[in-house]
Amino acid sequence: MCEAQEINAEHKDLIHDVAYDYYGRRMATCSSDHYVKVWDQNSEGKWILTSSWKAHSGSVWKVTWAHPEFGQVLATSSFDRTAAVWEEIVGELPGPGERGTRHWVRRTNLVDSRTSVTDVKFGPKSQGLQLATCSAEGTIRIYEAPDVMNLSQWTLQHEIQCKLPCSCLTWNPSLNRLHPQMIAVGSDDPNPTNGGKVFVYEYNENSRRWIKLETISSLVDPVHDIAFSPNLGRSYHVLAVGTKDVKILNLTPVDDEQSAQSGVTKLDIETIAQFEDHNSLVWRVCWNLNGNVLCSTGDDGSVRMFKMNAINSWKPVAVLKGDSAQLSHAQYNSISITNGSTSIPFSQTARYIKLGSISQSRETPWH
Amino acid sequence: MQFYDCSYHNPPPPKLTKAQKDKNRRRQWKRGRKVVFQLTELMSSLSTRNMSGKLEIQWSPITNKFITWGAEIGLYQILPYREDLDLPPTGFKVSDTHFAQVLTTNCNYHLVRSLDIYPKCQKDLLLAIGLANGRVALTTFGPSEHDAANLPGKELVPRHSRYCNAVLFNPVEHNILAAGLDKYRADSSILIWDINKFNSNNEPTSSGRMAVNTMAPAVELAKPVAEFATSDVTFSLAWFYGSNRVLAAGMNSKNIKIFDLRDQNKIVNSTTTKAVFGVCTNPNDDTYLASYVENQIYLWDMRNFEKSVVTIPQTKPVVKIAWSPTKYSSLASLQRESSVINLYDIKQTVVSNEELEPNIMDRIVIPGSNHNITSFSWHATDENRLLTIAVSGAIKDYTVFDRITVNWSTNTIVWSQGRKSLRYLEDSFVDDVSARIKERAKQRYGVQEEFAKNGELVKDNLSLANVWNWLQLTVKLKEGGILPEGEDNHPGVLSILSNIDPVQNKSEVVTMAWSELGYPNCQTSIVFYRHEDRDKALQLCSWPLERDSQYMTDFLTTLETAKAYTRAATIAVLNLKLELAMDILNRAPDDTDYGSTLNIVAMALSGFSDDPVSVWKQNCSACIQRMTDPYLKAMFNFLTAIDDNYDDVLNEKGMAVDDRVAIACLYLPDDKLLEYMKKLGDELCNEGNLDGLLVTGNSENGLKLLQKYLDNTGDIQSTTVIASRAFHEYLGSHTVKNWIENYRDILNSWKMFHERGDFDIMLASFKNAEKPAQQVFVSCNFCGKSISAFLQNAERNRQLHKTSSKTKLSSCPNCRKPLPRCTICLLYMGTNSGDISGSKSTPFDSWFSWCQTCRHGGHSAHICTWFEEHQECPVSGCNCKCFSVDAFAGPP
Repeated sequence: MCEAQEINAEHKDLIHDVAYDYYGRRMATCSSDHYVKVWDQNSEGKWILTSSWKAHSGSVWKVTWAHPEFGQVLATSSFDRTAAVWEEIVGELPGPGERGTRHWVRRTNLVDSRTSVTDVKFGPKSQGLQLATCSAEGTIRIYEAPDVMNLSQWTLQHEIQCKLPCSCLTWNPSLNRLHPQMIAVGSDDPNPTNGGKVFVYEYNENSRRWIKLETISSLVDPVHDIAFSPNLGRSYHVLAVGTKDVKILNLTPVDDEQSAQSGVTKLDIETIAQFEDHNSLVWRVCWNLNGNVLCSTGDDGSVRMFKMNAINSWKPVAVLKGDSAQLSHAQYNSISITNGSTSIPFSQTARYIKLGSISQSRETPWH
Repeated sequence: MQFYDCSYHNPPPPKLTKAQKDKNRRRQWKRGRKVVFQLTELMSSLSTRNMSGKLEIQWSPITNKFITWGAEIGLYQILPYREDLDLPPTGFKVSDTHFAQVLTTNCNYHLVRSLDIYPKCQKDLLLAIGLANGRVALTTFGPSEHDAANLPGKELVPRHSRYCNAVLFNPVEHNILAAGLDKYRADSSILIWDINKFNSNNEPTSSGRMAVNTMAPAVELAKPVAEFATSDVTFSLAWFYGSNRVLAAGMNSKNIKIFDLRDQNKIVNSTTTKAVFGVCTNPNDDTYLASYVENQIYLWDMRNFEKSVVTIPQTKPVVKIAWSPTKYSSLASLQRESSVINLYDIKQTVVSNEELEPNIMDRIVIPGSNHNITSFSWHATDENRLLTIAVSGAIKDYTVFDRITVNWSTNTIVWSQGRKSLRYLEDSFVDDVSARIKERAKQRYGVQEEFAKNGELVKDNLSLANVWNWLQLTVKLKEGGILPEGEDNHPGVLSILSNIDPVQNKSEVVTMAWSELGYPNCQTSIVFYRHEDRDKALQLCSWPLERDSQYMTDFLTTLETAKAYTRAATIAVLNLKLELAMDILNRAPDDTDYGSTLNIVAMALSGFSDDPVSVWKQNCSACIQRMTDPYLKAMFNFLTAIDDNYDDVLNEKGMAVDDRVAIACLYLPDDKLLEYMKKLGDELCNEGNLDGLLVTGNSENGLKLLQKYLDNTGDIQSTTVIASRAFHEYLGSHTVKNWIENYRDILNSWKMFHERGDFDIMLASFKNAEKPAQQVFVSCNFCGKSISAFLQNAERNRQLHKTSSKTKLSSCPNCRKPLPRCTICLLYMGTNSGDISGSKSTPFDSWFSWCQTCRHGGHSAHICTWFEEHQECPVSGCNCKCFSVDAFAGPP
C-alpha cells in the first residue's frame, strides 16, 4: 500500500519544473512567480523547504542540478531572457549545535539570449561542467566553466542556430566514451509545414563543432518536452518526446565504414511506440533511473506511465489522476509500431491510482 | 409574476412643417442607414448572444448554484455525485463527480438581452434582466430574502425604449447597477442605477407591480444616479475591480471609453478600436482589459490605452471572453460553433525597466464531448472550475487542470498540482527491474564468492539462475578435471565441441537395436554418437553420460520432485528408457497442470512401434500437431522420427536450451552437430536469451548475447556482474568498461556506496597489480621530508622481523623536530589518543585528521567529540567553521 504524499509548495503561480539532485534527496522547484525553492528530505522522509528566493524577473521555466562533485549547484532559465547558475553557500554565525544557515548565491547570469530562455541542462559530468541552454529565438548555447572551482566564469563555447523556436532540450546521458556528446532539442513552433520539430546534434571531435545529425521529420507537431532515457550500457538511445501524444524513439548508432571515416555518427531512428492516452497535449516526459519506465503528464490532468516489456514493446502500466478530477475514464488508443513481423499486442491493463489514497492492486499485469 | 408587455414607448411625434418634414426625412434616412449599419454589426457580433434559443450560463454568488437563460431562466443546484446514488428525476450528471438538479424556472421574460445576478445573495438570487425594450427588470425565483427590500418585480425604465445590451452590478458596491443601451438620438446609452435609492419612497402601484419609471416625469419614482455616453451605442460594459467606480464600455463599433462615477462630466480615457465587444476587466489586476471583435481578441494596458498590448488571433469569430477570477491573469475565450475553450495565460515581464511583450501561454481545454458550446462561466472561488452550456442544452462542470510537471528521482516520482502543491510517491509500485536491482544489490548479488549463492538470490528469474548454475558447473567440472585447465574458465558447448572433426577426430557411432531395448517387435535400431568432447558437453547440460547410471535415476528424481514430469519422461525416452518414462508419467499426480492426461500419454507411449507404416506412428504424427507441451511434443517427435532426422525435436523452442544441446550431442552426426550449435548460438544471441551462454560460453558472441539481453531488459546489474565474473578477458573492452561504469553510477546515486565498494574490491581482485596510488602524504613541517614513507618502511620491517612492538613516532625521523600537537589534548601527534571519552579506544582514534580549510587537526577521536558540540575550529583565534564547510551534511 503506498500513498501519494503532499508537499505544500505555496508558489504563487504555476510550478513549471521540479528537479531532483543526483541522489534524489534534494529537490528544486521553479514557478511563474519568479521564485526558486529548494527542498530537502529529512531523516523521516519528509520534504522540508530550506531555501526560497526570487531568482528572475520573469517566469522561471526550468531548474536543474549539477552533479554533486561540482558542489551544490543549480541552473535556472527564465522568460527574462537569462539563465543563471546558483551555488549554495554556508552562512555566517551558526550557534553551537546548529548547522550553518545555507543560502544560494547567483554565480553567473548568462545574458546572451535576446528572447526567453526556455530550457537549461547540465551536460554529462564526464565532460566537465557544461551547460546547454536553448531559447525561443532558436539558438542552442553551450557554456563551459573551465575552472570547476570558479562558477562565476563561464565561456560561451558554441552557438547552434536551430531556425525554429526551441522549447526543450536534453543531453544524451550515455557514459560510453565511444559515444560523442549528443543533444536533442524540440521546437514548439505551431506550424506543421515548417517540418520536423526535433533536432539531434552531436559534438564532432574532428571539426570541434556541434553538427546536426538529424531532423526528425515525422514529428511536425509542436514539441513541449523531450528526454533521453538513461542509457545504462544499452547499444541504442531512447528518446521520449511529448507533443500531441507521447512518442518513444529508438536511436541506434549504425556501425559502418562511412561513419567511421567521417567521425559522424549515423543514426537509425525508429518510432517504437506512440501513446494517445492523454487524448490531449502532452506537457512533460521523464524517465525512471533505469530508463525502463516513462512517465508523462498531459492537459487531461493525469500522470501516466509506460513500461518497456521487451525491446520495442511498450505498454501503459499506471495512471495517476486528480482526486477531484472531472476526468472521464481514459481510453487506450495505444499504437505499437514494430518494424518487422513481430507485433506484440498490448494488453489493455493499466492500474488507475487515485491521488488521494493510492491502493495497489495485487495482480501484476505483466510477465 | 405577470407576463410583461413589451410594447415600445416612443414619444408622440411632434407636429412639423413640410420643410421640416423633408429635412427630417433626409435625416431619418441617414439615421436609418446608420441604424441598419449598426444593426448588421450588432447581429454579426451578437448573433449568438441573447437571442432566445441561444443558451447562456452563469455561476451565481451562491457557490453551488447556477442559472441558465435563453427562452427561459433556469436555476440549478450542483451536488456531489456518487455511484451508489439514484439521481432525482430532475437531476443529470454534469461531471464524473457532480450532478445538477433543476430547482425552478422563470418563464416570464422572453426577450432577455442581458442578465446579471445581484452579488450579495445569501440564499436566493436576485436577477437584473436587461430587456429588448431597454428596461431592466429585477426578479427572483419565487419568494426570497430580497422581498423585504421590495426589490423583486421592480423595473428600471430608460427614457426611451431600445435594446438593453448589457446590465452589470458593481462588484464592490453591489447596489450600483449599470445598464448599457442602444442609441436613441442624443439620449445617454449608459444608465447607472442605485437599487437601494428608490426603496423608501416607493409604494406598490395599484396593479401590485413595482414600477420605477423615468419616462413620465410626473410619476418618476427613481432616476439613474448617473448617465453617460450621449448619442452612443453601448455594446458591452465592465466595472473595474480595484477602482470600482470606474466603468469601461465598448461603444459604437469604434471606441472603448472609460467613465468614472466620481467625475461624470468627462470621459476619463478612451481608445479607438473596433474591438468593442465583450469588454472585460481582470478581477486581479486593473491594468488589463480585454475585448474582442470577430476573430481577434485585444488585450489593453490601461497605462497605455492608445494601442493594444497584443492581439490574439482566433480561427473563428469569438462569442465570449472572460478572465479567470481565481488565477492571476488567465483569459478564457470561446469561439463560435466550437467544442473547446481556449485559455491564455498572460504574463508581463519587466527586464531592467523595459517591459517585454507579454508572454502568452495558450492551451485548449475540451470540457466534455464534442458539443457546440454557446457559453461558459468561471466559478468565482473554486480554482479553475467552469461551467459550459452547449446548443443542445448539455451542461458540463469542468475543472481545468493546471499543467503538471513531473520528475523521477532514484526512488520517488514527484509531480506538481497547480501552484500550491507537489505530490510524491515512492516508485516501488511500478514493478520494474530497477527495484529488483536495488533489492539484489542489498543482498550482495554478484559479489558473493560462490556462484551458486548468487544464483540463489535470483531464483525468481530462471534464466539468470541458470547462468549462475552454468558458471558453478564449469568451475566444478574444471575442478573435477573434466574440463581442461586453462585460461578459459567458462567455456561454452560450442568451444568444447570445436575439436570434433568429421575426418580427423570423429565420434564413435553406436547402434542399438530397439529389440535389444525390450521391444522385441521392433525391427530397426537407433543410432547415437559418443565422443569425449560430447560427453563433456552433456555434463555441462547436467545430463547423465550413461543410460543406466545411478546419476540418471537421481537426475530424473530431481526433475520429478520439481514437478517437471514431462521433462523427466522425455529425458528418459531420449535415453531410450521408455519403461521409466511410463513410470514417471503414471506416477505424476492428477493435480498437475495436465490432470490425468499424463496417464493417457503413458498409455500411448506403451504402444510404441518403430514400424513406419504402423497405425501407432500415424496416429502419433497426427496428434503431435495438437499437443502444446513442448516436451511431450519432442518425445513423440523423437519416437516418430524418420531416417534419424531430429529437426522437429531440436527446433522445439519450448524446451530448455540444455536439453536441446544434449539431444544434439547425442543424436547428431559430427558435421550436423557443429552446424546446429552455431545456428543455435546465433539464434539465442539474437534473442538475448541468457540460456545461450551455455552454447557461446565467455566468447565474444557471449558478450554480444549479454548486450542483447541488456538491450531487452535494461538489467545492467546482472549484465555487469556476469560480465565481470565470467568474461575476465574482456574486462578491458569498451563495452564491459561502460557497463561497469553505468552500474557503479546507479549504485552511487542510490547512495549504496558500500555495495559499490564491494563490487570495486571484487573487480580489483580480478586484475593483478594496479593498486590505487597513495592519496595523502605526511611530511615534516620543518625539513619537508616524508614521514609517511618512513612509517611504511617501519611497517614493512616490522612485518619482516616479526617484531610485535608498535612503532611510536612523535617527531620527524629525519630532523628530530616534533610533529604538530593535537589541538585538543595538546600532545604531539603520534602519541596515543588516550581514553578521554570513556569508551574503548580503537586504532582509528589515534589517526591524524585535520580540517581541509584551516589545516588544524589532531587525534580523530578528539576532533570527533569536539565537533559533536561545536561548529568552529578548536584552535583559539581560528574562526574556521570546520564542521559546516564539510560536504553537505543533510538538512538541518
